[in-house]
Parts: sequence; structure tokens; C-alpha cells
Amino acid sequence: MTGTLILQGVASGLVTGSVYALIALSLVIVFKSTEVINFAGGEFVMLGAYVAMFFLVFLGLPYIVVVPVTAFIAFAVGSAFDRVVLDRVLGRHRPGQSIMVAMVIATVGLSFAFKGTVRLFSVSDNVRTLPPIFSTDPVFLGEVVLSKQDIAIFLISVAVMLLLFAFFQFTKVGRALRATSENPRAATLVGIPVRRMRTLIWGIAAALSAVAGVLVAPKLLVSPDMGGVIILAFAAAIIGGFTNVLGVIVGGIVLGVIENLVGLFVSSKAIAIAPFIVIILILMFRPQGLFGGAAPIKKV
Amino acid sequence: MTIFRLTTKAAVIAAAISLATSAQAFDPSAGTGKYKDPGITDKEIVIGLHAPLSGRLKGFGFDALYAAKAWYDMINKRGGIWGRKIRVIVADDKCSPTELVAVQKKFVTVDKVFLLHGGSCTHSAVAAQEYVTRNKIPYVMLNASGDSAVFPPTRYVFGSFGGSQRTVGGTIVDFAVRALKAKRIAYIAHDDNYGASNSAAGAFMAKKHGAKFVVLEKVSRKIVDVTAPVLKVRAARADVLIITTYTGPAALIVKKAHALGLKIPIVAAVQAVPLPGLFAKNVGNPAALKNFYYGSPLNDLTRGPKQKWVIDMYKTAYPGRKPNPFMAYGVPSAQTIVYALMMAGPNPTRESFIDAMSKVSFNTGILAGPIELAEKKRDAHNASIFVRFDGKSHGRMKGVYFNEYRGQK
Amino acid sequence: MNAIDRRWWLGGVGLIVLAAGLYLGAPIYVLYVANLLMTYAVLAIGLDILLGRAGQFAFAHIAFYGIGIYTTALITNNTGLPVFVGIAAGGLLAGLVGVIIAIPATRLRDVYLALSTFAFAEAAQWVFNNWDSVTKGPNGLRISPAKLFGHTITDDRQAFFLVLSITLAVIAATVLMNRSKLGRAMSAIGQSEHVAMASGIGVQRVKVTAFAISAVYAGIAGGMFTLYQSFIHPDSLGFDLIVLILTMVVVGGLGTLPGVILGVLLLGLMPEVLRNLREWQELIYGLILILAILFMPRGIWGLITERRQAWQARRVAARPSPVQDET
Repeated sequence: MTGTLILQGVASGLVTGSVYALIALSLVIVFKSTEVINFAGGEFVMLGAYVAMFFLVFLGLPYIVVVPVTAFIAFAVGSAFDRVVLDRVLGRHRPGQSIMVAMVIATVGLSFAFKGTVRLFSVSDNVRTLPPIFSTDPVFLGEVVLSKQDIAIFLISVAVMLLLFAFFQFTKVGRALRATSENPRAATLVGIPVRRMRTLIWGIAAALSAVAGVLVAPKLLVSPDMGGVIILAFAAAIIGGFTNVLGVIVGGIVLGVIENLVGLFVSSKAIAIAPFIVIILILMFRPQGLFGGAAPIKKV
Repeated sequence: MTIFRLTTKAAVIAAAISLATSAQAFDPSAGTGKYKDPGITDKEIVIGLHAPLSGRLKGFGFDALYAAKAWYDMINKRGGIWGRKIRVIVADDKCSPTELVAVQKKFVTVDKVFLLHGGSCTHSAVAAQEYVTRNKIPYVMLNASGDSAVFPPTRYVFGSFGGSQRTVGGTIVDFAVRALKAKRIAYIAHDDNYGASNSAAGAFMAKKHGAKFVVLEKVSRKIVDVTAPVLKVRAARADVLIITTYTGPAALIVKKAHALGLKIPIVAAVQAVPLPGLFAKNVGNPAALKNFYYGSPLNDLTRGPKQKWVIDMYKTAYPGRKPNPFMAYGVPSAQTIVYALMMAGPNPTRESFIDAMSKVSFNTGILAGPIELAEKKRDAHNASIFVRFDGKSHGRMKGVYFNEYRGQK
Repeated sequence: MNAIDRRWWLGGVGLIVLAAGLYLGAPIYVLYVANLLMTYAVLAIGLDILLGRAGQFAFAHIAFYGIGIYTTALITNNTGLPVFVGIAAGGLLAGLVGVIIAIPATRLRDVYLALSTFAFAEAAQWVFNNWDSVTKGPNGLRISPAKLFGHTITDDRQAFFLVLSITLAVIAATVLMNRSKLGRAMSAIGQSEHVAMASGIGVQRVKVTAFAISAVYAGIAGGMFTLYQSFIHPDSLGFDLIVLILTMVVVGGLGTLPGVILGVLLLGLMPEVLRNLREWQELIYGLILILAILFMPRGIWGLITERRQAWQARRVAARPSPVQDET
């Protein structure tokens, strides 16, 4: 009996974990390329869900149109934010000095701006979901059961992550982005337009978050505070190693499974604190996460 | 001019202004002329009305507050109370304890209101209790459950006008046992004060009926994956699942229960299903609602015929606005205040108002049961109805259920 | 008396007049707001020590605030001890926990320091919410009125005096500390750890000390809270509050004492100013943060200081030169 519980907990944890990982992906690619933690990451997800809702429900357009349009709008917003705000802030800082404070304030401000804007519309007063893409009919894998929707979310998340990994590893643009994050000055010397790369990455990350929002809407449900899931995305990224695109999948899955096992064998109340304990433990004993390479040394 | 000199000048001016304009603020309890209490004259009585009007919890307070105001406006149109019009001052308490206390202190010491009316969130309403008791100011909650501020009852604080959380928990178990013949109860609540109160009442009513809790799970309001608690429900072979969480987690739980093959009836509290149609969409699969019920403190479905007059009143007062499901919950407390002011006679004081409140008993035409207050009873409403819902149609279940848990061991 | 001393003197007199005016004449509401702002000021100054001075990006501040509140409240509720004992205990316990957290945390880089301390703050809030036997969990804890030398503090007017005294003491201590060797070491680390280490400063030790002092400030602010509030609930000790304090510090002027105080006043009073724009408050707040970081990176105080320096420079340039031109 306990075996079934564990198996089911793991299976469902895999799905939820892939949700965390997908959202964390945007955080990771931004951090990899710009060393910035985007505290508005969750709100980009929320924005994507609401923008998609507008096109799907209000205008009645089909998903095949809505998803690219939403991604495009998010891309525009993300890259605009980088151009208008971050460019200026980063341009001002002196090397060696921490830009963290400015970055946090800027992205926290953005998250409040997004939430405040969405709350002005009465559609956000109630928790909603998007029209279903996949059915919730159950699929039996032995004694474990998952819905078709669950399996689709898992597969799509993994596919997106693999695509992104390939992008960073094998395409010219992707390699240029990696170069700018590892050593911006050298990158400039080789002729890579660092500033434009950064804007590009913010656009991509925003688009990614928005599409993630559309995909995971049935799992997280759509509300202005849906961005709160970013904490779990942070935990997933930390477990995997904040700079590792593939590590993030593992990190997310590990987190999702841990949450369920804690809920089954400790208590449901403890689920809420599990991700924080994990973050603290990992940062204390292995700050680079499972796949982050060398321990993060302070750059002076 | 240096900064410091400027600052000093500003400080002196500010001090002078505060002295000049606050001279009469020295004794906030002094009234004007023949009236002992502030906020009352021959022509008007002043009420400080507050609720969350912005932010995440705006939905619980905004429409409810304006419905209460609409009631007051209607009373004014009919001539007021004993010849006095009700003047309402509105403020946003943001459901935050520090903010609510600030709002009330402003009402009392700056606006000089006669009584305080407001609050949609229990934990912020409780913050006011010490201040209003010490300063002997009547405080009537708006639609907050208010459990920890009305149990044990104190003289100046009144609440639970839509039912306390004890009502929610006690009646839902009562229904599960009596109507659904349940003996092994699975109960999922939040790890907040609502969960604490409603589960305590539920446990009491279960014991009273000889049923037992086989599962009691408390989950965070932000929970994303509900697999663990629902698995435990399945493993414990419960014969009913009771959910008293908010609507997001409740929809996820119902979905998960269906996905994991649970076939037992599910009963959800009112806070889980404010908009049944939307809830069904969030669940996504009508098959999951085959055996689903929800509770409500109202006397009918939210848009049922008995509720029409309230909705009409709101729409007349605010043309073009569509009220949310919590709107009607704001009216009973306003009705009670008006009733008590009438009973208190042509020259009410705060104390005579409190005495009149302690004898209140009437039917609101909105709620499932009567409003009843007494010297030692400050929770106003204690009843629920239950509705069967399959995703499309509602079927009102027979009977009105009353909670009996008042803190007994 | 030179110009600087005269400014301090005038400032002090102004402050006394203002305080007396408030105490004697202001309505309770105004005194409540004043007490709240002073509590936030102590919180903000404490955060600034760690963030602005020592340059450590730590998010755990509100956890220490909570420890201060609950400790002082429990001592006041359960013993007859004067409230000073409770406040000191709150500060010390917060400081102790601060040291324990700091030792591992300060080994981490910026980003990870921020995330780990943030995780700690969330974990602390969970503990406040679930440790029912001590904190009464989600029902919240009622706080009995504070006792001091036979008097019981029952309203904001009585509390005001004590809150003000503590605030002034904290400010004075901060000024002294900033001028001390420790303060200068913290500053050096905030500018550049590498250079500080090279000049012989025990970087790790100073960082942990800064952490501990910051935590003590937060704990004391928690004690101040209990002087005029009768109830505490875990929901009040979350993310929203750290964002508010952080904003006050950054928009006011990171690393500057007058800036931080200015930030507290402005952002503390802003909701009152925006009262009629309730629905827009969240959006406006977000925009203010973005605009502030864009155009006032050193906060409003930084802006004022820049203007003053520019004005003074112009004054100097306009003065006739004492040296004859060679024409």
C-alpha cells in the first residue's frame, strides 16, 4: 500500500516538478547571461496567462494563433524592460560593485506594476483557468494514474528544455549568449554586441515565461498572485544549479517529488516549508546545486 | 538656506499646526453639546465603514461594503432613524491588522464617528478588539467570520454576520453525517485561523454524532500539488471528503480526487465555491462533480429568487456594476445596526446601542437563519444550507443546518 | 558655535517642539502613525547597516523583527517584568539567531546570500504560523499592555514617549557606530571586500557582526511594536513587509542615515496621500520603484546631496578670485 503511495507521489511529483522547471528555465537563462535574478519572473508567467485569456476568451481566437501572439507580446515587453530600465541601471554601475540592490528593486517594482495593472481589470477578481487544451481523462501506468493533461505538460516541458539546451549549445546565437555571460569584456572584443544580446535574452525569457503560463494554467490556476510560484522555481533552480539548463529539469523534479513525499510522510502542513529547507540545506552544503560545476566563488 | 534650517522651520510650523488643530482632539470621547458621545447630532449619526477595498483580498470586502452602504442610503431615503440620517465615512483596511487599527483610530479620534462597522478578514478584525474595548466603542464587523474575536464574547465587538468559521465546520459535518450518512470523515482545511476554527467545530460535531475524522489535513493557501493529502484520503477509506479551503486549492483537490479515482461524495464550504459556474470550469471535468455539494450561509442560491431583492438593491444603487458573490454578506450587519439604533430609542448613546444590540433577533431575508445576539452571544449567524451541484445545475438540499459547537470540550 | 553645531542645535530644538506638539495635542490616530513610522525607521536603519553600509544583500530582516515581537510579547504577557527587559531580550535573541544564520550565510555570493536569507525568512514565518504552543499559530498572539515602573501603557499617547526615546537612542547609537572602527570597517567591506581584506580587516568577522547588529535592531523594533499594538499575526511578517522596508531604504538613500529616515517618512505617508487612488496604489508603487532606481540611484537623499554640492560648487566658483590675473 505504501508502495503505491510513494509511486503515485513520485509520478505526480514529476509532473509538478516539470512545471517548476519550466518556469525556472526563464530565471536560469537570464541569470546565465546577465547575472540578474528576475524577481518578476512569476509575473511574466501570470501576464502570459492573462494575455492569452484575453485572446482566447474575449476574442475567441484559437490556441494556434494565441500562443505565438502571446509569446510575441511578452518578448516585446521583456526586451523593452531591458532596453528602457536595465540598460540604464547596468550602464551606471562600477565594476566590482554589487548591482544586486538595483536589480532587485527594478524587478520587484516591475512585478508590482504587473500585478497592479492586472488587478485593475475585474476579470482578475476571481480565480480562473484557460480553455482546456488536453483532456483530463486518466491514463493508467500500472497502479499509478496521471491525466492526459499531466503527461502532456511533462512532455512539453522536457521538450522545451531540451530545445533550449540545444539552442545554447549548438547555435551561433546561443553560444554568443553563453560567451557574454561568462566574460562580457572578452565577448565585446570578439565583436559580440553584448547589449543587444542581453535584450534578446530578456525577450526570450519573457516569451518563455508567458508560454509556460499558458501551459500550466490548469495546474496553477490563473490569478494575479499566481506568480508566487516563483519561489518554487527558485528552489528548483538552486537544486539543479542556477546556471545549468538541464540541471533545472532535475532540480524541478526533485523538488516536486520531495514536496509529495513530505506531504505523505511528514504532514501536509510541512509541504509549505519543504522548499525553503531544501534551499537552505543546498546553499549550506553544496551551493552550486547538483550540476552547477565549481562552487560559486565571489567575484571581486 | 541650509537643509537643517529648513527642517527646523518645518518642524516648528508642523508643531504649531498640530497644536492648533488638535486642541479639541484632546478628549476623543467628548461629544458636541447635549450628546455625551461623539458622532451624533440632532440631524445625523456618523458611522465609520471599512473593508479591504484594494489588493489581493479586495473581493471579500469591496462589494460587501458598498452593499452595506446601499442599505444605509436606502434607510436615509425613507427618513433615517428617529429623524437622523446616517452619514457614512468609507476607508480601506486592506485586511491588514496594522492598517485596520489605523483606520479605526482615525475614525474615532479624527472623524469622531459614533460606531465602527467593518472588516472582512478575521485576523485583522481581532487586532481592533483591545482598542475598542478599552475606549468603549461599539465595533460591528462587516462580513468577517471573526471567530477569535467573538469567542469568548466581549461587550463591544460583534461579528460572524455571515456565519463564523465554527458555523462552517460544524454545519458541514452535520450535513455530511445526517444527509450523507457518513461515518469516516476526511477533512481538508487551510493551516490558517479559519482552518483552526472550522476543523475544531467539525471535529466536535463528528464526535457528537458518533462519526470520526479519519483524515485531517491542513494545507497552505498557496499549495500547488495536492497529491499527498488526497492520496491520504484515499488510503484512509473515508466515506466523505470535506473541503473548507479557498476556491483555487479546492478546485485542485476536486480535480485530483477524480484523477485518483475517488468515488466518495465531496462537500465544500462556501469559501471554496463562491462562483459555482467558474468553479466547475476550474475543475475542468464534469465527471469530477458527480457527487459534489457545497454549503452556503444564504437562504437560496447566490442568484436564486430569494436573493433577487438584494441584487436589485445593489444594481439600483450602483448602475452598471455587477456584484460579486460576497456582496450580499455585507447587508445583514448593516440591517442589524439599523435595527439596534431604532430599538435604542430617540436619544441613543454608545452604551444604549450596545444594550439594544444584545437583544437583537430578526430575519434578514438574505441568510439561512436568523440574526441572534445576546449578552453572552456576539456571533450573529449560525446556519447553512447545502446545494448539490453537478457542474451545470444546482439542487437545493432539504433543511437548514445549525452549528452547536460553542467551545465545549 | 560654528555653523554645523548651530544646525544640530536648531534641529534638536525643532525636534523637541514637534514631539511636544504631537504628544500634547495630536489625535491618537496621528500618534499611532508616528509610532508605526518610528518602528519602521528602526527596522530600516537596521537593514541599512547590513545592506547599505556593509553591502550584504540579506533578506532575513523580518524574521528577526518577528522574533523580537513574539519574545517581548511573551515576556510581557507571562511575567510582571518591566517592558525594557522584554525589548532587550527580543533584541538579544534576534541577534543570537542572526549570528547563527550569518556564519554560514556570509560565505555565499550575493545572489545566493539573498536567496538563502529569503528562504530563512519564509521558514521563520512558517514557524510563527505553526508553533501553536508558543505563538498561538494562525490565531495570532494577543499582546498585553506593557508595564513600566508601576505604570501600564494603555494607549498610543503614553507609548509615544517611549517609542521616541528608543528611536533617538537607536539613531544616536548608529551615528556613534558609523564613526567607530567597526563602522568604518563595514563601510570598507561595502565598497570592496577585496580591498578591505587586503588592508587587514577580518572580513568574515565584520560581516557576521554587521548581520548580528542588524538583527538586534530588528528585534528591538519588534519590541517597540508591542508597546502600542495589541495583536500580532504571522501574516504580517511576510514578503510584503520586507519589500516595504527595502523600498524605504533604497528610495530614501541607501547607506545614508538621513536618507533612510526620509524614505521611511515618504513611503510611510504615501498611502495616505494616495488614499483616493486606492485601486492604483499597487501599480503606482511599482512604477515609483522603477523610476526611483532609474533616476535616483542614490535615493532622494542622494539627489538632495548632489543638488547641495552643485549649488555650493557654483557659489565657490562665483566668488572673486583672490589672485590677480596676469593680463
